Amino acid sequence: MPLQLNHALRSPHAQDARARQDFVSSLRGFVLNDMATEMRSRYDSEVAPKLAASGVANPDEDDIRRGMAGNLYFQFYSATRVNAQEMVWRAVTPGIEADLPDIERRIDAISGKAGGSLTLDPQLPMPKNVTAIDVHLMPGGYVAGTSAAAGAVYDNGLAVFSAGFMGQNLDDIGMSMAQWVRHRHPEFKPRRILDCGCTVGHNTAPWKQTYPDAAVVGIDVSAATLRYAHGRAESLGLAIDYRQMDATKLDYPDASFDVVFSSMFLHELSSKQIRAYLAEAHRVLTPGGLLLTMELPPNRILPAYDQFYLDWDCYHNNEPFYRTYRDQDPAALLCEAGFGADDTFDFTVPQYTYMTEEAFSAAVNRPPEVGADTGRLSATVHWFGFGAWKRAG
Amino acid sequence: MSTATTIPLDAAGPRPTFFEGSGVDELMSMVLELAAELWVVRERVYRLEAAAGSKGLDLTTLVETLELTSAQTAQLADLRERFTRGLFRSLNRPTGDNAPESLSMGDL
Repeated sequence: MPLQLNHALRSPHAQDARARQDFVSSLRGFVLNDMATEMRSRYDSEVAPKLAASGVANPDEDDIRRGMAGNLYFQFYSATRVNAQEMVWRAVTPGIEADLPDIERRIDAISGKAGGSLTLDPQLPMPKNVTAIDVHLMPGGYVAGTSAAAGAVYDNGLAVFSAGFMGQNLDDIGMSMAQWVRHRHPEFKPRRILDCGCTVGHNTAPWKQTYPDAAVVGIDVSAATLRYAHGRAESLGLAIDYRQMDATKLDYPDASFDVVFSSMFLHELSSKQIRAYLAEAHRVLTPGGLLLTMELPPNRILPAYDQFYLDWDCYHNNEPFYRTYRDQDPAALLCEAGFGADDTFDFTVPQYTYMTEEAFSAAVNRPPEVGADTGRLSATVHWFGFGAWKRAG
Repeated sequence: MSTATTIPLDAAGPRPTFFEGSGVDELMSMVLELAAELWVVRERVYRLEAAAGSKGLDLTTLVETLELTSAQTAQLADLRERFTRGLFRSLNRPTGDNAPESLSMGDL
């Protein structure tokens, strides 16, 4: 189902644009469900036998990638998926371009009404991972300019991209993670929460909704997405402070936050940046505080075909660090950052948005369920998370 | 000035390609753009008909503001899904060793 954003910055796209967005959303749903299922069948019936015949009895991810590259169905799947990705952005851009002056007016008018703030740093150096390429094939990228344009394109585009699988206002990841903490650790009452690489704050907002008494801060290097995030949160009545900051060089004293969170962030960073971020996260956490990371599942816990399937984005969606990240061991990264080996954990969580409170509560107390739908955007997705508690004293 | 902001339509950098044959990737883009445009038209026609049937008034304004019923929305979703399946029908035919042998006129 296509998603209608439910906040005051939502752009009023004309009927033909809405129909185009619905088509692209349906096309993505078809690619990610129907075509993905058929592609797996083609692998089993056409590619795997050829690999076996050539002496590759237990193919790894790279064997499968090489084998699939010449498969006609894989070629159509991939070409359709790339085109659908491009069409996501093209379907929302004209309407946003027309609406942008009014978006800016709406942000100015609502700024501060809910008690949140926006602090930009025009001198902040932009990291190469967001300037050298247009991540997600999003034209213009995430850090162009200081108007809210990039934020508006991302928010409206993600509503089309998600094909209805990411919750109202695209907040299911943040909501599922925050609710996982609330249900799994009811005694934990964070007072200060930091969301790193927050873009438009769609997954920051659920933390404020889950812990309304906590001070919630969202940071990103992009002024454009933060300006939009600020207006978005204010329009939802959520007092969130947004600051332009590089997560690998946090401008906060030691022990500043009880929770340091990120979602779909590490796989866009180089290995050097990941290590710098996790070390900074450890530094700014209070003793007894929680590092929580929502991410794609690491390759080491998945069968070779699922590794290949998820890493598609690395090769075809302008996300060059995707696989490098997924090839690493989250627990090892956390230990390297200063967390104790016994203090790390990982988990999977179903989508909070689409469940009853009771069913969700029961699910979070079950052991992790890693399968083909873990981290894979589809109707049955389970999000993957990992983290660590910073040892007190 | 925000009023002068132009948002680019193409991502920077090389574009992924998948087919060995020259022009096939570009052809895919054309087909899918055409499909999207066709869907836009189909949906507009659907809405025009729905609007005319229900009111018979200013159709342009009516289509822009029309709120479809949940049943109509479901019908549209079903039509959209059928449309997409039809578009991809050729990919579901058996290929390679599983492809049916061609028949000669004498077989018929």
